[in-house]
Amino acid sequence: MKIVNEIGRTLQFFFLIMETMIRRPCARREVFVQIWKVTEQSFLTTGMAGFFVGAIMTVQFTLQMKEFGALGFLGGLATSGTIREVGPLLIAFMLAGKVGAYTSAELGTMRVTEQIDAIRCLGADPIQEIILPRFLGIIVASFFLLGLGLMMSIGGGMLMGALFAGVNAEEYVRHIPTIVTSVSVVSGLIKCFVFALLLATVCTYKGYSATGGAKGVGLAVVGTAVTTMVGIVVADWLTSFIGESVLRAAGVY
Amino acid sequence: MTAFLALVAETLREIPRRPYRPSEFFKQLHFVANQSVPMVIFCVCFAAMVTILESSFHMKIVIQNDSMVPGFAAMLILRELAVVVTALLMTSRVGAGLAAEVGTMAITEQIDALKMLGIRPVQYLVVPRLLACVIGMVMLGIIANITCLVAAMWVSDFYLGFAPGTFITSMNRFVGMSDFLGALVKAACFGFIIPLVSCYFGFNCEKGAEGVGRATTKSVVASSVAILVVDFLLAYLFSILKA
Repeated sequence: MKIVNEIGRTLQFFFLIMETMIRRPCARREVFVQIWKVTEQSFLTTGMAGFFVGAIMTVQFTLQMKEFGALGFLGGLATSGTIREVGPLLIAFMLAGKVGAYTSAELGTMRVTEQIDAIRCLGADPIQEIILPRFLGIIVASFFLLGLGLMMSIGGGMLMGALFAGVNAEEYVRHIPTIVTSVSVVSGLIKCFVFALLLATVCTYKGYSATGGAKGVGLAVVGTAVTTMVGIVVADWLTSFIGESVLRAAGVY
Repeated sequence: MTAFLALVAETLREIPRRPYRPSEFFKQLHFVANQSVPMVIFCVCFAAMVTILESSFHMKIVIQNDSMVPGFAAMLILRELAVVVTALLMTSRVGAGLAAEVGTMAITEQIDALKMLGIRPVQYLVVPRLLACVIGMVMLGIIANITCLVAAMWVSDFYLGFAPGTFITSMNRFVGMSDFLGALVKAACFGFIIPLVSCYFGFNCEKGAEGVGRATTKSVVASSVAILVVDFLLAYLFSILKA
């Protein structure tokens, strides 16, 4: 029951943020500051993770494709797999560990040191002033990071393709346009958006509702990491199944 | 980096030395393995279902025929998915917890107190956690792999129309015992990385509550990246051994 309760509170918080966004938009400058902060904090990690994921996918697909005699498709397959599935998932995992944990620690510290109450005392709305910019910042920055991660993973895949499978760079990119269709790109972007929404909601909620001193902040951080990771895996499944069903119904394939 | 390697070396040196702490070890094993089982099973099930859908999608594009899908998905599950997802979940649950715990001990000077009492902190704190994580991850790896395969089999039965028998036949063509053992080796390596990285950041925690938060964040990020790097190295190594 505790879990259901918590999900309900998170949703309530999400709607509160949405309401604030429509009624009282926050300062645009602050959003840009947050976007920059998120990107700056995590571009190195995401880039590195993307590179190695591209390399791993290429190594695993090579053995398989050799069996079918379809090594030429290696690049297309690895890229398509990355943009549709692995990329968004990985960016979300990395952001959950870094930005999510950081944001909830920051907000939690503000909460337990009563800075949030102080903001309210001064007549400002804490949701509008501090939550909304962070929320929007995470969502926008996740798209930049997705692009970066994808580029790096194509780079990693290309390198491994050349070293391990004997597929040169030109051959690697040749089939990317035929396999990666616009449907794949859109579904990857939708996934990325859903995961970012989830992460941004959970980490701001957990931080905002932290109680009980330093220990409470620690619990909020661990809670954010665990909740977002579980939530992301479930959201991944939901978007895949719903997307698949919609596309089948629409007759795309 | 050198400081981290020094911690690794010291931990390895301390493993065979007395006093052994079996009760502490079992307490940690309970935390790492038993308490993580529901979360691991839940997440890995969903991940497996998505994998099989995606493999089917790609197979249809490349060879216009998805009869190989079960085998392909089973291979991805055994070689990559189950253990890596489990390990990433463990970094957020166990790794973050360890870094916060050790970090709090460091800033409240409990670690200095241990030294005063003549207890070696690495031997007292790191060794039981390391052993528990390695063994716990191997156990979780077995559970995750089996759950994943069952979930994939189920989805392929009702969604793609492959009966469980077909699934197993197709799976046998692609994977063998060596893939399963490889997965367990990976799990053990990940179980080795997570506690060492988190304890390292915990020991080197900056003063104050903010320092603990930062140590936790750093440890989760560093171990996630380390897991991907090691995963790549092992995947490469295994595929060379196979070829």
